[in-house]
Amino acid sequence: VLSDEEKRKQYDAYGEEGLKDGHQSSHGDIFSHFFGDFGFMFGGNPRQQDRNIPRGSDIIVDLEVTLEEVYSGNFVEVVRNKPVARQAPGKRKCNCRQEMRTTQLGPGRFQMTQEVVCDECPNVKLVNEERTLEVEIEPGVRDGMEYPFIGEGEPHVDGEPGDLRFRIKVLKHPVFERRGDDLYTNVTISLVEALTGFEMDIAHLDGHKVHVARDKITKPGAKLWKKGEGLPNFDNNNIKGSLIITFDVEFPKEQLTNDQREGGCLKAPSRQRGCTDLSPE
Amino acid sequence: MRGGCRLFPLLLLALLRGLCHGREPAPGAVTCGSVLKLLNTRHNVRLHSHEVKYGSGSGQQSVTGVEASDDANSYWRIRGRSDGSCQRGTPVKCGQAIRLTHVNTGKNLHTHHFPSPLSNNQEVSAFGDDGEGDDLDIWIVQCSGTYWEREDAVRFKHVGTEVFLSITGEQYGHPIRGQREVHGMPTANHHNYWKAMEGIFIKPGVDPAKHDEL
Repeated sequence: VLSDEEKRKQYDAYGEEGLKDGHQSSHGDIFSHFFGDFGFMFGGNPRQQDRNIPRGSDIIVDLEVTLEEVYSGNFVEVVRNKPVARQAPGKRKCNCRQEMRTTQLGPGRFQMTQEVVCDECPNVKLVNEERTLEVEIEPGVRDGMEYPFIGEGEPHVDGEPGDLRFRIKVLKHPVFERRGDDLYTNVTISLVEALTGFEMDIAHLDGHKVHVARDKITKPGAKLWKKGEGLPNFDNNNIKGSLIITFDVEFPKEQLTNDQREGGCLKAPSRQRGCTDLSPE
Repeated sequence: MRGGCRLFPLLLLALLRGLCHGREPAPGAVTCGSVLKLLNTRHNVRLHSHEVKYGSGSGQQSVTGVEASDDANSYWRIRGRSDGSCQRGTPVKCGQAIRLTHVNTGKNLHTHHFPSPLSNNQEVSAFGDDGEGDDLDIWIVQCSGTYWEREDAVRFKHVGTEVFLSITGEQYGHPIRGQREVHGMPTANHHNYWKAMEGIFIKPGVDPAKHDEL
């Protein structure tokens, strides 16, 4: 079927119809001729299986984002400078392909030859053009997620341009560690605070303060869960993960003096004069 | 919508660029994180790499100059001299040390004491894995002015061997017929000027805390 030139043209036209509007072809004829290929034509992405529309390469650009941007979102402006096919005077050969041609030598005698057949297209030249694109870093975005810009990839003179894809790369943060929608951080408290309690504010990614208060004994490695103080969920920004604070206790660096041993620094209340020696700051 | 600059017609961008100054420093500068093609202005070919190794010298992945303007293998990413040293959107200063990472293969523009195959200058290769190579991946951007502007032709001087990234016109045969040899040469001349061409240029960054949304 595909070697017959007329039927091949109809197949080409029908195949392209999925991508271009307004292509008229005789559907009735095509269905009867191609009945055997029915499953082939309707399976899969028409864009990929169409051999006649070549595509330029995709470009994948890694976009580094900070955890602050993952928390609050951000916009990144980008200038895309790319070659675009523009009309030029004259004609050129395009869509060149190998085809089998059947010629009749005489009654009942045919010859099949292979030849290169090209279409004639308007001549094009590549001209550089610029446009500004804006990539939105959505709150809760995860490492590896991609933001595609259709058609902004490499051009193809005989076909369509490829796509431009921004791939998110979340940078490591000096204070917070991300696990899913939860944030983990470590806080060091003094021995006195560990035994007698403390109150502190932790600065979050957007600057707001998370208040932590404790009046019981805090063991080294103890964890405190703050619900709703994690990262926003990508699919529903109203849901936030948790902030998990792990406490590390800093022991005094030097040996206690006799005064300190006797002086009751280790009894509540803490942070009195003379007891501050026990905290490492 | 932020600012009126985004609305300017695209082809007139060059003419109207002057009107867009003021919001960010050096709006026409090349920034870290940008992906671009570099054109050698003397020989009109673009810096290029591919999964073809040198048959001599170090045997590492080769770097060449190609005539085509629509080859995705000519894209290089601008990064600081070490991880975290140049934030996304920071304009590159003249005299700053950078790395150029080949987008499709993840290898860095690299040179070392090996002779180049055609001209016997210094071999320039693409080296490393996933953007991580070694200390010989670092190049200084030489230009006049404060920042590396996109319209300017700049030189790349290697940190370590002090050579300039150059092309002098020698051409390879099969299997990369027509591609030019890229090498390092010790003298600064008209063979080592490069200009940023096609690419994805991240605009000089605005602090997210100061971002104003309508």
